[in-house]
Amino acid sequence: MTSSNRETISVNDCQVLAHYKYDGEQYILTLSSSEIAQKTIPGQFVHITVSDVTAMRRPISVMSVDEENGAFDLLYKIVGEGTRQLAECKVGDMLSVIGPIGNGFRVTDKKNPLLIGGGVGMPPIIAIAQQIKNNNDYNPFVILGSEVPFPFTPQPSEISNTCPSKTHTMPILEEWNVACGLASLQGFKGVYKGYVTDLAKEYLDTLSKEGLSQVGVYSCGPHPMLEAVAKLARDYNLPCQVSLEEYMACAVGGCAGCVVEVQTDDGPAMKRVCVDGPVFDAQSVFS
Amino acid sequence: MQNNLQTSFCGMSLNSPIILLSGCVGFGEEYTRIKGFSNTKVGAVCLKGTTLEPRLGNKPHRIAETANGMLNSIGLQNPGTEIVIDEIMPSLKKNETKFIINISGSSVEEYGEIAKHFDDTDIDAVEINISCPNVKEGGVAFGNDPEMSFRVVEICRKNTTKPIITKLSPNQTDIAKNAARCIDAGSDGLAVINTVTGMAVDIETRKPVIGNNRGGLSGPSIKPIALLKVHQVYQVSKKYNIPIIGQGGITSANDALEFIIAGAATIGVGTALFYDPLVCEKINTGISQYLSDQSLSGVGSLVGTLQLN
Ligand SMILES: Cc1cc2nc3c(=O)[nH]c(=O)nc-3n(C[C@H](O)[C@H](O)[C@H](O)COP(=O)(O)OP(=O)(O)OC[C@H]3O[C@@H](n4cnc5c(N)ncnc54)[C@H](O)[C@@H]3O)c2cc1C
Ligand SMILES: Cc1cc2nc3c(=O)[nH]c(=O)nc-3n(C[C@H](O)[C@H](O)[C@H](O)COP(=O)(O)O)c2cc1C
Ligand code: FES
Repeated sequence: MTSSNRETISVNDCQVLAHYKYDGEQYILTLSSSEIAQKTIPGQFVHITVSDVTAMRRPISVMSVDEENGAFDLLYKIVGEGTRQLAECKVGDMLSVIGPIGNGFRVTDKKNPLLIGGGVGMPPIIAIAQQIKNNNDYNPFVILGSEVPFPFTPQPSEISNTCPSKTHTMPILEEWNVACGLASLQGFKGVYKGYVTDLAKEYLDTLSKEGLSQVGVYSCGPHPMLEAVAKLARDYNLPCQVSLEEYMACAVGGCAGCVVEVQTDDGPAMKRVCVDGPVFDAQSVFS
Repeated sequence: MQNNLQTSFCGMSLNSPIILLSGCVGFGEEYTRIKGFSNTKVGAVCLKGTTLEPRLGNKPHRIAETANGMLNSIGLQNPGTEIVIDEIMPSLKKNETKFIINISGSSVEEYGEIAKHFDDTDIDAVEINISCPNVKEGGVAFGNDPEMSFRVVEICRKNTTKPIITKLSPNQTDIAKNAARCIDAGSDGLAVINTVTGMAVDIETRKPVIGNNRGGLSGPSIKPIALLKVHQVYQVSKKYNIPIIGQGGITSANDALEFIIAGAATIGVGTALFYDPLVCEKINTGISQYLSDQSLSGVGSLVGTLQLN
């Protein structure tokens, strides 16, 4: 590591500005920090002390930022003791937050970004949508999947897109004028019944050869979903970046606790999810 | 830096009695990503366990949180001696702190060979890890047998003029006896303790959480074990004036002071950084304050001042 990485991550005492509960034990937490709001790029995450009784921090992706008000949003789901304790925090409480951390998504100049997020893997996908929403060079299509009710109220969409199956959308994406399809196996109202990759395939099949050559895939979600997305990208010969998760201790590259195996030109290597990722080239992880 | 924190250890003059522990801070540069963190605030940085050849390390999961601590089984992932010397060492900011290399071999001869390679570098000291619980060959196999420990230290002693610190395992019957043999073999200092072996089980899958099944326990839960081991080792080491890096679960100045009173000349901080990356500054301030409150000129006058009941 070179000294150019010095002082890129800060330790912040963040105030809880809002904390909303959604079905499926999902929460959206708004925290204050001008620094994190200004510096975070899509795919980066923060490392949070969830309570006084649990010393190890928990990594959570940044979903969206509000630079004007110096705040950022997280979306998380209760899966164990740490997230259960985080769910107890109230507006006005202070949390110790380290961030922003990691190599986020490298949004390339491919004009048709296909953004696929599953479950609590949605946040980095929404973060990319926020970054490119006002850039007319891009014509993004977002696909969100969830097997518990979505952590927002799906609403009908006015935005045109080529995907034959029309679905409801996420309100904030509608506000940002970003086209979106929702998928689930659960048969929720206004939601495509099937996998995110089924909906992605429908969309890709409407594109011309020229259009397909401009698709870049960006994805975050459960491991099996990422594997399916990586396969889809391989089948269509599309570049694909995925954001991964692994148990973390330091989250700054010091402990080598969070590694995943990736294939490199020099053979297999163990890369740290916290600072070498969390975003990796899909084909280096799933081959 | 507060004046009374200056500490001498194995012939090195340290800014602070804090030593950042091997395996927790990569190769010294990683934590400098954090704003406000600086290696200048610690006495020395102990680099990641280094082997002769590169190692990929163990399969995930490599860590698991436990009550007041954590298990790790990294498996000594490192790029190997040659790359550490040729590519990593030249970029170390030597003006900021002292750097200690932590070495592991799979045979007595291999320990000797690695020590020899580092003897030709500007590293400040060599820490011999004969207590890693996470590798099949070597590691703790050497550390739990006083005669093997003796042979490892002996060959390193022959091969280097650098200060040698031997890192002892708590997973053995008589740590003081082992310490005595390491001192006989020429160790200049001792590190007490490495992690305590342990396991965590996932009741859904009925599998160990750690990919390698077992791991090394660190953090506050091992502090009482570590304190007693430091006390026991000190009974031997004080006769020879051999200083100890006390470690295992230190998260505050008070923890650090307990270790110093029990016999540690310097103190190690590892897992606590994962909780609070800026903890060292707090520990420095707390130690310094205590020393002035007690009218002590430095840490040296507190070492081993434990009054048994
Ligand atoms: C880069 C990154 C970004 C993430 N972003 C989000 C997000 O935006 N929203 C969200 O809900 N979750 C996210 N996660 C997953 C989240 O960190 C875990 O759900 C959380 O740590 C679980 O903690 P727990 O104590 O509730 O669960 P337990 O299962 O009780 O945790 C036990 C231990 O395992 C670790 N652990 C368990 N599952 C995971 C996991 N999937 N990833 C990493 N560590 C885990 C915990 O940190 C803890 O140390 C992210 C993980 C990573 C690595
Ligand atoms: C993630 C991790 C990796 C470690 N790697 C090494 C290592 O490579 N060599 C070594 O001698 N000790 C290693 N250790 C042990 C620490 O250096 C230290 O002795 C131990 O963690 C106790 O101190 P602590 O409770 O302050 O962490 C490691 C510990 C942790 C937590
Ligand atoms: S969590 Fe320590 S290296 Fe990634």
